[in-house]
Amino acid sequence: MPADRTTGDVMKKFNADSLGEKVLRRFAGGTSRRGMLARVGAALVAAPVFPLLPVSRAEAAGKPDRSPETKTAFARAAQTSDDTKCNYWRYCAIDGALCTCCGGGIHTCPPGAEPSPVSWVGTCINPEDGKAYLIAYRDCCGKSFCNKCNCNGSDRETQIYTPQLNNDIIWCFGTQSMEYHCSTAVLVGAA
Amino acid sequence: MKSAAMPKLSAASAMGLALAATIGAICLPAAPALAGTASVEPEDSDVAPLPMPKPSWFYIQRGFVQAGTGVYDSATGKYLAQVETPVLGDLAIDPAGKHYYVAESVWTRRLHGKRQDFISIYDSTGLKLEGDLDIPGRMLVGGRLHNFIVSDDGKTGYVYNFNPVSSVNVIDLAKRKFVKTFELPGCADIVTYPGVGLAALCSDGSIASINLKGAKEEITRTEPFFNATNDPIFDNYAYDKSKAQMTMLTYTGLVYTAKLGAKPEVSTPFSIQEAAGIRKGDTKPLEVNWFPGGGQPLALHYASNHMFVLMHAGEFWSHKAGATEIWDLDVTAHKVVKRLSVSGEPNSIQVTQEAKPHLIVAGDDEVVQVIDPATGEVKSRIKDAGTGPIQIAE
Repeated sequence: MPADRTTGDVMKKFNADSLGEKVLRRFAGGTSRRGMLARVGAALVAAPVFPLLPVSRAEAAGKPDRSPETKTAFARAAQTSDDTKCNYWRYCAIDGALCTCCGGGIHTCPPGAEPSPVSWVGTCINPEDGKAYLIAYRDCCGKSFCNKCNCNGSDRETQIYTPQLNNDIIWCFGTQSMEYHCSTAVLVGAA
Repeated sequence: MKSAAMPKLSAASAMGLALAATIGAICLPAAPALAGTASVEPEDSDVAPLPMPKPSWFYIQRGFVQAGTGVYDSATGKYLAQVETPVLGDLAIDPAGKHYYVAESVWTRRLHGKRQDFISIYDSTGLKLEGDLDIPGRMLVGGRLHNFIVSDDGKTGYVYNFNPVSSVNVIDLAKRKFVKTFELPGCADIVTYPGVGLAALCSDGSIASINLKGAKEEITRTEPFFNATNDPIFDNYAYDKSKAQMTMLTYTGLVYTAKLGAKPEVSTPFSIQEAAGIRKGDTKPLEVNWFPGGGQPLALHYASNHMFVLMHAGEFWSHKAGATEIWDLDVTAHKVVKRLSVSGEPNSIQVTQEAKPHLIVAGDDEVVQVIDPATGEVKSRIKDAGTGPIQIAE
């Protein structure tokens, strides 16, 4: 999000936190202990909602000024040819082992792992066209930590009270097991 | 090949040598260091005791790959014991120092099966497992100091949960049973709030007050005072329980304090860079400045109100970067009084609460350095210690 839009009309028009809270409240429904089915249901609902947050933010802002994103240290050094390197353009906010080094691919979980239907999100710049794209960092789950090609991108990454933009959380919600294996960087669309 | 130089032995000779080696292996550890004083008395195996927590001690988790929390004495650099924490586990220390509590999660069939979340309770003198109790869930994140806390009287534990509904589990530690869960939408990073219940940071840039005195929790929020998406406050802020005061730091280097009185009173922020006599930190791209960074980037010495901050030169959004300097900030005077060079690019820092405190820092290489903040001298350098977080008994 551009630095010069931290306050004022943009924030009044759209507040990602407010939306996130509404989403989470909708998940809540009560205080009783939930079963796995309910969690899966919540996660499936969350899947299309969380990735839309920055899109909605961009729409609310009209034509977004993406120039600040293109100027981060990560964006200036990003490349498009090798997705096993931490400076691959989609990894601007990834944290963890790259599934491309673990027997999987950029949007593919390694054999035996299960993709999480929900994710944290990032907005990364493709250096080939200079445009911003929404990236869903979906964890692959159910196998022990791959521990290869560990990366820690931090562009626009936040803290756990803004969970949808935090990359330290184990995002294996709605999977058979929450054991973390590696992370993918799925291109959702233009941001 | 090593075996090529070895003479051939008969089976009987080999067995005899193996037996001698085995006996030697058993006997050797019993031999004292000084020649001529060797005891030949038969011995029994025993277990080392562990004293109650001391102000010079610190506790460091090994990290994301290896389990365990090492207990060290900063006065000597000596390793004392391991508290049994898993990867992504959370350690809470009984304020009275009698127990260690560990919030953890496992599956019945290692990586699959039924998930079990529970609190393990250890006696602090001996580290014997006294028991465990089930809880409905907990956030799997690791590295956070405010996800599992204990009330000042030591009777109640609070475990933050996110599944992905944000909530808090309340545990009666005296009776050793789970009490209830309440939802905490949009907030996390809890601390105790005397006379009220809990406080937390929220994604709208406010502090939540969570009143637990009644049958139903009442959650109110301050006016938003920081930007949680553009300039967030680090999760691992400092909290002085004796003053009920939060000391917080943002990515750009703004320092806030919040006194938890009748309601939270948030101070006017000041810039740590300006407190050091340099340009204020900014979110603008391409501006190189000194920024705070790391998973545990600050530590507060309560009595002196000096905050020690891991700082690095870089650009905004480098908030996870390791440090090249430690800044000693007098929070009361709004002045950085010392800048210490530090090696190893640490991203976790803690300070003991002694009159003459020790700084403890750790980096991704799992090397811990114990540093005298008065001189910057590295008093101990400990390999294979862990990456953090680093805790002290309070």
